[in-house]
Amino acid sequence: MSRYPGLSDADIAVVRTQADRDLTLVEFNAYVAAPISPDERTAHDELISWFTRRYPTPAARLAWARRAWRRWNRAATL
Amino acid sequence: MEGTEFDEAGFFRAVAASGARAMLIGRRALIALGLPLLTGDYDFWLHIDDIALFNRAAAPFGLVPTRSPEDARVRGRYGLENDEKVDVLVGRSVPTVDGDRVVFDDIWARHQAIEVAPGVSVAVPALEDLASTKRFGARPKDAEDLRLIATLIARRGGE
Repeated sequence: MSRYPGLSDADIAVVRTQADRDLTLVEFNAYVAAPISPDERTAHDELISWFTRRYPTPAARLAWARRAWRRWNRAATL
Repeated sequence: MEGTEFDEAGFFRAVAASGARAMLIGRRALIALGLPLLTGDYDFWLHIDDIALFNRAAAPFGLVPTRSPEDARVRGRYGLENDEKVDVLVGRSVPTVDGDRVVFDDIWARHQAIEVAPGVSVAVPALEDLASTKRFGARPKDAEDLRLIATLIARRGGE
């Protein structure tokens, strides 16, 4: 059975290849250098504020990372 | 698979106590610094002369090297594995996608120690240097992480 219901192994392979591919230097620099819009900055700010407020120490954040990874793996293997 | 329970703080403690010049890089470091990202592995940049120290520190946690120290030095990287996966860079310098070279000793000289458990610290590059290490790869997620790091740097500047 597929690890991701509704997706074939071939679909998953395509997605994985896209996600893990190396961008060309032009693509990479264009992505990184694109100005951060006010909306994107606000979204980043809100995300970081939530995370650092909810998990105020590096230890708490690292513990969250392990829980989040387990949760994601569990969901992906249902 | 759930995997065995990993004593992360114990691992960091052992690395710190080993004397190995090892810096946590990659997404795990960014998480510790305040970015909510998903990752399943640990990335370290280790001084090329400290492989044996690092491996000895990792051994009690069942982490087994994927290459001999000699082979790792030649290839510039190796891994430590069990249910956990630790990727280790060991180059004296590593090229970025732009062709620049990031030098371990330069980054190490500016590293910060962050407390990850009571009395346990792990070495992490300065934020700007962490951004440089994100240019070792050119995957979409590296580019995305760089944009988030830019926000983290801007926020720190505004504090």
